[in-house]
Amino acid sequence: MAVKFPSPEWLQALNDKLNTDTHYAQIAKTWEGDMIVIIEPSGPLLEKQYYYLDLWHGTCRKTEIMKTLPAIMPKFVLTATYANISRIMKGELDPMSAMLTRKLQVHGSMAYMMRNVPTVLDFVRCAREVTTEILE
Amino acid sequence: MQPILKVNLSTRESSDFIIPAEWERDYLGGASLGARLLYSTLLKDLDPYGPEAPLLFLNGPLSGTSGPTVGRFVVCGKSPATNLWAESNCGGFWGPELRFCGYDGLWITGRAKEPIFLWLQDNLLEFRDANAVWGKDTYESQSIIKTELSISGTHVLTIGPAGENGIKFAGLYCDHGRSAGRTGLGAVAGAKNLKAIALKGTKKIPLAQPEIFGPIRSASNHFLKDDTITQVVHELGTAGVADYADYLGGTPKKYFHQGVFEGVDKVSGSAMAETILVGVSACHACVVACGRVVRLEDGQKRKGPEYETLIGFGPNLLNDDMPLIVRLGEICDREGMDTISASNVIGLAYHLFQKGVISENDIGFPLNWGDMSGVSRLLQLTARREGIGNILAEGSRQFGAHFGAEDEAVQVNGLEVPYHDPRGVSGMALVYATSPRGACHNKSDYFLVDWGQADTSLGLQFFERHAGAEKAANVALHQNWRSLCDALVLCLFGNVPAEMVAGLVNAACGYDYKVNDLLRIGERAWTLKRAINIRLGLTRENDNLPKALLEPLPDGPTAGYVPPIEEMLTAYYNSRGWDSESGKPTPSKLSELGMEWIINDIWNR
Repeated sequence: MAVKFPSPEWLQALNDKLNTDTHYAQIAKTWEGDMIVIIEPSGPLLEKQYYYLDLWHGTCRKTEIMKTLPAIMPKFVLTATYANISRIMKGELDPMSAMLTRKLQVHGSMAYMMRNVPTVLDFVRCAREVTTEILE
Repeated sequence: MQPILKVNLSTRESSDFIIPAEWERDYLGGASLGARLLYSTLLKDLDPYGPEAPLLFLNGPLSGTSGPTVGRFVVCGKSPATNLWAESNCGGFWGPELRFCGYDGLWITGRAKEPIFLWLQDNLLEFRDANAVWGKDTYESQSIIKTELSISGTHVLTIGPAGENGIKFAGLYCDHGRSAGRTGLGAVAGAKNLKAIALKGTKKIPLAQPEIFGPIRSASNHFLKDDTITQVVHELGTAGVADYADYLGGTPKKYFHQGVFEGVDKVSGSAMAETILVGVSACHACVVACGRVVRLEDGQKRKGPEYETLIGFGPNLLNDDMPLIVRLGEICDREGMDTISASNVIGLAYHLFQKGVISENDIGFPLNWGDMSGVSRLLQLTARREGIGNILAEGSRQFGAHFGAEDEAVQVNGLEVPYHDPRGVSGMALVYATSPRGACHNKSDYFLVDWGQADTSLGLQFFERHAGAEKAANVALHQNWRSLCDALVLCLFGNVPAEMVAGLVNAACGYDYKVNDLLRIGERAWTLKRAINIRLGLTRENDNLPKALLEPLPDGPTAGYVPPIEEMLTAYYNSRGWDSESGKPTPSKLSELGMEWIINDIWNR
């Protein structure tokens, strides 16, 4: 089944992937922290989207599409335009390059993020692998 | 720009030097203007320790304003370590204070009969006796001189015992531990009997269009504050990148001979933040605040190490004891020695000891990897040129040569290689091989581009970190931009868009430069420094890497890879318009840059 990014089906597919991928389970085994990915409208995406993921010890405990930011902020907030995030999903933009060139803004503990770059990169690998179609 | 104050220490004469308008226009300031000002002086027979050798301190047109990361100054001259072009820039508040005195530079020649320090209060210059501070370390010297002058807000730049004793990697230090560490210009000051320069100014920084400058300054600082690298460096210091550098195999270990070190997780900006960090410190008007304040077991607050010091005295020596790294960095700062060169030459000593090239008879004690008990002693011996320290004080190239093992030294043209391994990030191979001051990571911090910080507004592209010749033109372009930053003496963490930098320069100077104009100014200065070095004897053969970096590592994320330096160099010369046989800028390139006036000098016409 085609899984189009962004969509509720895509988020569910990512949830399933994170809970079954053995490489991710190993590399993220010490990760403790939830995040919100904010997708700013651009191109075909007309409304801002908030994708919540609760990641814990190599698993995904919860996902949710939110209407706005929650009262209690998660450990990390990642923000990018749809144009840039779709380039990351298509493998056209390296996630570290996106962070270093302000195409992907990160708010949260930089110590934790820098300590866990391999986990972050493997999370992106999983997200790319479940994406079979992109909103154009 | 404001005038430069020329001071002759031999005659105690001083005068104002007005910078020619066309030199300001073509070179802007900082190290680039320094190269233009010193072009006719820096010749082969000039002794860097002689009285005629210049020591030129310069600001840029943004220095001391409230723009983004504009608190730095540069010192230029001829390096006693490399006998080539020397420049080293430094943060803190001393550079802006010089501008507050009404000068954009200080151009020092001559040699004082006795140790002195200069005291410049606005435009009033005094030559003061420095016998009371001669022999004192940099922290004590700053403190004693400030007490003597008793004027609040005075900033003191000083050398330590290393500079007094002619250590080839002695630096100049201000605002506690801010350093102009590289290329040995502290030793040049020492040879002049110049212990320190104290400044206190009350004047305003000149701006051509303050009403335009203000809004751009404000916007650029806001932009910078929101940048991801700024957040990393603010929270974790420059060593915040250590984890990622190690992940990519860019962190040298065991003097560049090992790819994996078990204790590496204990040695990073993150580890510092999790253990001993108690505060941060900033240079003049800086929103980044990369400086670290740490507290050790004695309860005292100290300067925490930045990336180079952390890796140099950490994984480079197979050491994971963070408090010890803090203390070793402090010894270097107090004695007035560059931490990159000091940790590199000590790494070489360990390496040669393990190879059996040197022995306990040479050192006085064993140097076994992981045993750090002798390192602080080696640093002190070096600063005082005692015992083995007298050979260490000459730097890696000379230390290796003394024991018949020059090729084991990890240096380029006499300057020790910093801690960004080109086998992890191949762009650094070209950067080290072609830097105008010997192996340097600041003439282009291309490791960041290899990680992905490719600013497309400059025309930079992102190449895979192990790409070869195809990235040569990209490296040259990045060098041109960083050369422009050196003209402005802009900190490399001032990561604001090039258009904003152009806006700030234009508002400060009254120009109408576009980004491409700034890149051309950067290229012109890069080429001029190349011409200076050619006149000082540099040839195509000098553009190379040390043996260790051309051998594959046995393990780690970059095992088996070596950068294809010869192919990269050929592509690099072509992209620069340099002759690939001689490495000289071609006459047509020189003409294109408006530098016809040096064609005869470097082509012997």
